[in-house]
Amino acid sequence: MRSIPVSAPDPSPAKAGQPGPLLAVEGLKVHFHTRDGVVRAVDGVDFQVGTGQTLGIVGESGSGKTVASLTLLRLAPPPARIVAGRVVFEGENLLLQPDKRLAEIRGRRMAMIFQNPATSLNPILSVGQQLTEILRWHTGVSRQAALDRAAELLTLVGISDPAARLRQYPHELSGGMKQRVGIARALLCEPALLLADEPTTALDVTIQAQILDLLADLRQRLSMSMVLVTHDMGVVARMADRITVMYAGRVCETADADTIFNAPQHPYTRALLESVPRIDHSYSGARRVLPSIAGRPPDLLHAPPGCRFHDRCPEAAPECRRTMPREHLVAPGHSVSCLRRGSPGEETP
Amino acid sequence: MGALRFLLRRLAFSAALILGVSFILFALINAIGNPIQILLSETPGVSEEMIATLSRYYGLDGNFIDRYGAWLWSIVHFDFGTSIIYNQPVGELLEVYGLETLKLQLPAILLSTLIATAAGVIAAMRQHGWADFSIVSSAMLGHSLPGFLVGIVLILIFSYWLGVLPSYGAYSTRNLMMGSMVIDGLWHMVLPVAMLTVFNTATLTLLMRSSLVDVLRQDYITAAWASGLPARRVVLHHALRNAFIPQLTYLGTLFGLMLGTAPVTETVFTWPGLGALYITAIHQLDYPVIMGVTMVITVMLVVATLLTDIAYVVIDPRIRLG
Repeated sequence: MRSIPVSAPDPSPAKAGQPGPLLAVEGLKVHFHTRDGVVRAVDGVDFQVGTGQTLGIVGESGSGKTVASLTLLRLAPPPARIVAGRVVFEGENLLLQPDKRLAEIRGRRMAMIFQNPATSLNPILSVGQQLTEILRWHTGVSRQAALDRAAELLTLVGISDPAARLRQYPHELSGGMKQRVGIARALLCEPALLLADEPTTALDVTIQAQILDLLADLRQRLSMSMVLVTHDMGVVARMADRITVMYAGRVCETADADTIFNAPQHPYTRALLESVPRIDHSYSGARRVLPSIAGRPPDLLHAPPGCRFHDRCPEAAPECRRTMPREHLVAPGHSVSCLRRGSPGEETP
Repeated sequence: MGALRFLLRRLAFSAALILGVSFILFALINAIGNPIQILLSETPGVSEEMIATLSRYYGLDGNFIDRYGAWLWSIVHFDFGTSIIYNQPVGELLEVYGLETLKLQLPAILLSTLIATAAGVIAAMRQHGWADFSIVSSAMLGHSLPGFLVGIVLILIFSYWLGVLPSYGAYSTRNLMMGSMVIDGLWHMVLPVAMLTVFNTATLTLLMRSSLVDVLRQDYITAAWASGLPARRVVLHHALRNAFIPQLTYLGTLFGLMLGTAPVTETVFTWPGLGALYITAIHQLDYPVIMGVTMVITVMLVVATLLTDIAYVVIDPRIRLG
């Protein structure tokens, strides 16, 4: 079975006593050992998702958000290696579970929808084969029962004439339809947590809105939690209860969606929000140019010492070049990782 | 628009292809000259009149188009003429020698497909591991060694040093193995089949591994893992079927070009097959045999291509008939 190796599992059990959140990621580090060196794609990341909550993880390409989300199912591609941290889901640390247990959780308790509907369905199996196979594996129901359930789910995700669709192959469906099938596949066993990695990026704008509405509606109806990974601020604004902003493999800031949009603290979050074009702004006169963040995200093979954002940060101080900030709470439910906002730091070599 | 129309179109195309090859073949053989002249002109005591009479007897005196038409008419009726060297109907020779060739080629293709699929799956699943490294290195070695060398080494080890397997022929001339024709025949098949299997397996393994490595990287495989399906289902049901699609072409070629590998194998093991027959016929200018074997090769290649196309349609729903 494909599961990323865990180098140094943290054996401490999930906190006993009070029930924890549905998902708690603590100090997660995922490194890629390549010929040229170690790529620290995810380098000490914490976040939590409560029951019924939607967490948006935003960041630029290469910020580690996709690897972080795949790691929740231990699925990042080789040569990924989990070198530290815990992923506690429904009270068990998934990084300690054997493959067999992991396979029971995948698709049944935690499921995933993918970015590109054109490539995430198997081209040579019919929709019905792909859906019933998963259902029968997890629940052991009969073929007919599985087909009925699959048709029911296709109806739920807004596909008409499900019986005919079940007999069709992916290439006979439109992009939006394929993504709906992908969503139906993830929801077959009514998972507690749905991971959505850029679920609308590959779709037309009008279809994007439909799929987002569908996800919002399904989340409500099935009282499901969701981790929504995206680079699109508009998508998280619409969907997320809480938002985690990632940059170069680390978390910059985590807060309620309102707080992130109205009172962001981290310089990167602020710069990111300023670079989103707004329909209520006039880009004439002094503000003719849409602000952008100067420079480019760091090459993670040669990550800069200190704060990873320092060389693009308008507020960088000399200490930011040497000292790596650690997340701290600036208000209840609002944590920031920035020396200029009072975060504690650790010296980096 | 359906399977029948697709099939009829492909059949018509195949017939046209065979017709074209037959014309080119006839033209080339014709260009060699009058075989009676070539075979007998040096022989003492053969006069020009005798050559002319014989040429007339074999129908070699007419014009090109008439002779081509007559030949085509007879091969359509499975009459390939009479071998000049063996003095036997070519049709009979093709049947007897053809069966001997199939006896080696079919088991070899079947075995190498099975071995290559298993080896390819193991290598692709443990990409860059030691199993992958050993499988790829041995496949590379098998791929680059000349086939006849493998055959000779096999003979050296198993026939000469160990003395456990026969080194030539399809049957023992005396003392049948365990007194049975069948066991004796199988016994003789081991080494030549092994040589062909080594040759086919090497290439098929490399193809299988690379296409499986490519498929295992696809999103739909990650999606299958993310659905919690067990490795057996993901690899055998989702990945292998997709990875097998590029193999079909090569398998088709192996079937069609059996007679490409047959001459070397049958020469090394003195096996009475079509390949050996073909080589002898060319050396001795036994033109009815040359033409007969060439037509058999053509038909086999065309049939193999047709079967490959049909297999594609069966395995890959994206391919539209037409």
